Amino acid sequence: MVAFIAKRLLSAIPTLLAVLTVLFVIIRIVPGDPAIAILGDNATAEAVAALRERLGLDHPLYAQYRDFLLMIAQGDLGSSMATGQPVWDEVRSTLPYTLELTIASILIGIAFGLPIGALAATNRNTIIDYAARIGSLLGLSFPAFYTAILLILAFSIELGWFPVISQGVPLTDVGNRLYNLALPAISQGLIMVGYVARASRSSILEVLGEDYVRTARAKGLDPRVIILRHVMRNALIPIVTVVGLYLGLLIGNSVLTEIVFNRPGIGKLIVEALSQRDYTLLQGLMIVFAFFIVLVNMLTDIAYGLIDPRVRRQ
Amino acid sequence: MPEPLLKVRDLTTLFKTSTGWFPAIRDVSFDVWPNETLCLVGESGCGKSITALSIMGLLPGKKMRRTEGEVVLDGQPLLELPDKAMRAVRGAKMSMIFQEPMTSLNPVLPVGLQVAEPLIAHGGLGRAAAEAEALRLLDLVRIPDASQRMAQYPHQLSGGMRQRVMIAMALACRPKILFADEPTTALDVTIQAQVLSLLNDLRADTGMSLVLITHDLGVVASMADRVAVMYAGEVVETASVEALFARPTHPYTEMLLGSIPRADRDVDTLVAIGGQVPAIDAMPAGCRFAPRCFLAEPGCRAAAPALMALRSDDRHQVRCQVRIAQAAPDAMRAGAIR
Amino acid sequence: MTEASVSLAAAAAPARRRGAIGTIVAAFNANKTAWLGLAVFLAIALAAALAPWLAPFDPIEQHIADAMTSPNATYWLGTDTFGRDLLSRILWGARISIVIGVASMAAGVIVGSALGLMAGYWGGRIEQLIMRSMDVLLSFPTLIMGLLVVAMLGPSMVNLIVAMALTMVPKFARVARAPTIAIKERDYIEACRALGYSDLRIMFVHILPNVIGDILVLASLWTATAIRIEASLSFIGLGVKPPTATWGGIIREGFDNIMDAPWISLYAGLAVLLTVFALNLLGDGLRDAVDPRLRGE
Repeated sequence: MVAFIAKRLLSAIPTLLAVLTVLFVIIRIVPGDPAIAILGDNATAEAVAALRERLGLDHPLYAQYRDFLLMIAQGDLGSSMATGQPVWDEVRSTLPYTLELTIASILIGIAFGLPIGALAATNRNTIIDYAARIGSLLGLSFPAFYTAILLILAFSIELGWFPVISQGVPLTDVGNRLYNLALPAISQGLIMVGYVARASRSSILEVLGEDYVRTARAKGLDPRVIILRHVMRNALIPIVTVVGLYLGLLIGNSVLTEIVFNRPGIGKLIVEALSQRDYTLLQGLMIVFAFFIVLVNMLTDIAYGLIDPRVRRQ
Repeated sequence: MPEPLLKVRDLTTLFKTSTGWFPAIRDVSFDVWPNETLCLVGESGCGKSITALSIMGLLPGKKMRRTEGEVVLDGQPLLELPDKAMRAVRGAKMSMIFQEPMTSLNPVLPVGLQVAEPLIAHGGLGRAAAEAEALRLLDLVRIPDASQRMAQYPHQLSGGMRQRVMIAMALACRPKILFADEPTTALDVTIQAQVLSLLNDLRADTGMSLVLITHDLGVVASMADRVAVMYAGEVVETASVEALFARPTHPYTEMLLGSIPRADRDVDTLVAIGGQVPAIDAMPAGCRFAPRCFLAEPGCRAAAPALMALRSDDRHQVRCQVRIAQAAPDAMRAGAIR
Repeated sequence: MTEASVSLAAAAAPARRRGAIGTIVAAFNANKTAWLGLAVFLAIALAAALAPWLAPFDPIEQHIADAMTSPNATYWLGTDTFGRDLLSRILWGARISIVIGVASMAAGVIVGSALGLMAGYWGGRIEQLIMRSMDVLLSFPTLIMGLLVVAMLGPSMVNLIVAMALTMVPKFARVARAPTIAIKERDYIEACRALGYSDLRIMFVHILPNVIGDILVLASLWTATAIRIEASLSFIGLGVKPPTATWGGIIREGFDNIMDAPWISLYAGLAVLLTVFALNLLGDGLRDAVDPRLRGE
């Protein structure tokens, strides 16, 4: 098991490198001069040259790449062009908001999606099943910002239960923090419920038809034991896949949700960086994302290993 | 008169298709006595698996399936039992092993636990005691290094070993009867003989009865005490194994035996049975084998024949009115079974 | 399940034999929700195509006097802050969304499937190279990739299409590769090789038809995603620039005025939801038709 985890950790490194390289390439493929793109067409030649030097753009490409990697290796994410603050500081104050939103959405998705999927699978082709299937499909068809807007319309404006604009709340004020988290988490959670419910249904259905479930019945085991011990563990494998897969989606959606609810998270920071053309801040944030994505993939792989012993021997 | 261990009378299982309810097996009747091996023989799709699954109560949902008839195990009628009571019988008094050992074992649970499960569920044993007994069972089915195998997973075992694990699992609660659905078909030829001989020895040691489902007449010859031949969802002949091979009576049985190549004499032609098994929703009205039968007479297509005993041998039954008439043209005898 | 029930099911099926495509079409026919999805999507696409004739007003024409009116007889869905008719804007916005959605899906399908077929068929180094690149592309969530590309290249329809095609190529590559690997070992492919057919011919004439089913499923589902992401990008401000009407852009304007004119976001969002849902229904129905296990057997 330990060997398995170690191997996964090791193989994450080349992936990380590859992702960072792609990032590097994308950020520098701006046709024309990035400095001009940032400063605008009216900028003076000196300003452009100064910015180029500051950004290290006057060095050859391979040198830029080397510096880029060195910078990351030293834990330096650069500094924001707008505020001059280190990117890392900005990240530290905003990452928790995005993380808690993401985790809350996953929890909501699993807490509601799994039972719905299980219900649908065990009541196949009944009204419950059809309702669950159409419902989940509808749930995941919602654009994340639309759900958010609808929820605000219903609960904040019409009913006044939640604030329309949320603010940054210190971690110590747990109640308030959760209160501000509720609506955003529900709006994103809804989409996760759709995906998890569908994945649960199809995966549980598939397992129910497997020979080893028939063997378990032949042994005369209690149906609850069969579901919990024999079915669920096998059914979890594709469900973990789905959660891992859609974690990326969640991260993307958090950008939208944070805008709508005005939450001070990383997503909002990215959009600000974009609109202010804060090139270095954007790069720094993207690096954080890259790490996050690779981390999630690795954790998903490890989760497989925990659930399915056949995976471990690789 | 002693009662058979398992009494099956007129067992019929119907499935719901898009065009209506059709019987997959019809009026299946046979007995299984203590300490004997009964082979259920027939080609693929003749209903032998469904027979076993119907008796075990392992067929899918009541909406798509109806089972009628009478099944009595050790004096206890099974078909009317509520689910909970049936579960107590399954795995404890009556067990089953299946054809594909790889897919029939749960890939994410250790082998030892899977063998111990019936003991925990039926025997009321705690986990530790159950696993100790599981270890003993693994030894019993001749798995080398059993203590190491306990913690291993199915994918770490060979096909033959997996089938032995299944046998251990099925025998855990010392059932009175074991259904084995083509247990060796998916195994290497060299392993087949080992597993079959294991089954035989275990049966002899424990006194349990074995219902062995197979399409291989060689297996029948080496394992069976008695045989029931099935065709198109019906039992067409039951007899002791000696009687079946020496005096095959039903035309289908005859053709089956004639179609085997034999090592001990030269056969000019292998008899191929022409035609096909009729589809479940297109069964002929009279005798189901009549379209392919070399003995068929006009009367055969008119009325479906009943399973009747031969005059010469009470325990040899045939579902063929031509043969019954031939055997005793002036005195037909209804046998112990309808 | 057991061989008995398999032969049972086979025996219960009508005796007439169908080809692979025929079975898919037949199963699809039986699936009412799939047809509903297809019908709704085609209706929306048709409305989009006919927008110049269907729209009651010019989408960028401002009627300041009537600004911010809720739905009424003249302006069926109301007007926005500049007095522009919402219905017309939504109809014209449909053109953008659908074109971007379908174009990026088409690009993704063509490039992705080709890459997947090549990777699966040729194997070895080529396969490694292609699939590793695909893995890296796959790590980026669609929205983030879209964000990055558009941020760097500027918002325009072409760039949006490129951005989203980039996220779809790896998905189609993956889907095309797996069956290719399974099929290339089969005897009839051997026969093709023995007959001297070129690799390309084998890949696209003989292997591709087997992969079509899965690709179709993904194609509908990913068109849905593309449309949703385009709306999201427009919402953030990275879509096609105003005053062109885009669904996401309309929703954004509506959001800025959510208290006073909730109908703007409501109806524009509904348009996105309906289109995405219809395509998802279609994709789901196709998936059920293509994968026999899911058909309820």
